[in-house]
Amino acid sequence: MDAFGAWLESTRVSGFMQHVVFAWPICACLHFIGFCLLIGTGGLFDLRLLGVAKGLLPSAMHRLIPWGVGGFIINLSTGVLFFIGQPFRYLHNPAFQLKLALISVLGINMVVFYAGAYGKLAELGPDDGTPFRAKFAGATSLILWIGVICAGRMVAFFLP
Amino acid sequence: MAFYLYSIEHSALSTWLRESPSLLVFPTILIFHTLGMAFLAGTNAAIDLRILGVASQMRISPMAKFFPLMWSGFWVNAVSGVALLTAYPTKALTNPVFYLKLSCIALGVVMTQIIRNQIFRDPDVDNRSVPTKWKILAATSLVLWTGAIVAGRLLPHTYRHFMTDSY
Repeated sequence: MDAFGAWLESTRVSGFMQHVVFAWPICACLHFIGFCLLIGTGGLFDLRLLGVAKGLLPSAMHRLIPWGVGGFIINLSTGVLFFIGQPFRYLHNPAFQLKLALISVLGINMVVFYAGAYGKLAELGPDDGTPFRAKFAGATSLILWIGVICAGRMVAFFLP
Repeated sequence: MAFYLYSIEHSALSTWLRESPSLLVFPTILIFHTLGMAFLAGTNAAIDLRILGVASQMRISPMAKFFPLMWSGFWVNAVSGVALLTAYPTKALTNPVFYLKLSCIALGVVMTQIIRNQIFRDPDVDNRSVPTKWKILAATSLVLWTGAIVAGRLLPHTYRHFMTDSY
């Protein structure tokens, strides 16, 4: 692991992130915009699954989700750049490890949701409640995304 | 101004906020500030995107049910923001970018109110095509909230003085 970190640190991309004055701050700005998009689209959709904001047609509201996926792609890309830029800030950092673990569980939650409850959403009207499975997936997603943001914020306070 | 900054910095509250080793003090305030931002800017983004034509089959008016969530984010951030400012007043108040951030937020809040009054209170909001004027309002709101996030994120990279003793 440490050899991998040392190799990453020696790459050009790492040098770019470390020495180009505004490379890191610009990526940080994008990372923040990315999770605002995630919460604003995915988080609000989770709330609709939980029964908040009835009146919004779930299948129509789902069209917001690609913007959340866009936010996630921005954050994955900038996140990889941070990791390459300063591998040893993250490699043995418990907050970062928790963050990755939470994102993995989110991935599982998403697969379960799209394989199951999502299929029924198209039949729902704007004022209908959602089945328990959908509520469970929504609550799990919302809580875990909040957890991801908290863990991400804690990285700076758990530097190895 | 330095005298006032010095007085705040040396108050018991400021010292505690800044120097407490507990994760429940400074780091937790920062977490609240980040979550508040996600819900404030995120909800605004969703409403603006809808007005701009994303998810156009979704009715606009029920999105008003998210306004309380958005305002909760705003107030969490006003309170946590004052706490962060109390901890490091010099760092923020001697940095022009901080005033840019506050301006973006003030104008963003005004824009959100205009959107509520003009769009959400229109009885025909869901029965008409979205006029260009509404799209301009939504685009402006999106730019302002993005500006607030960017300016805020740049504060740790642009400050001139960390505390009064570094003047």
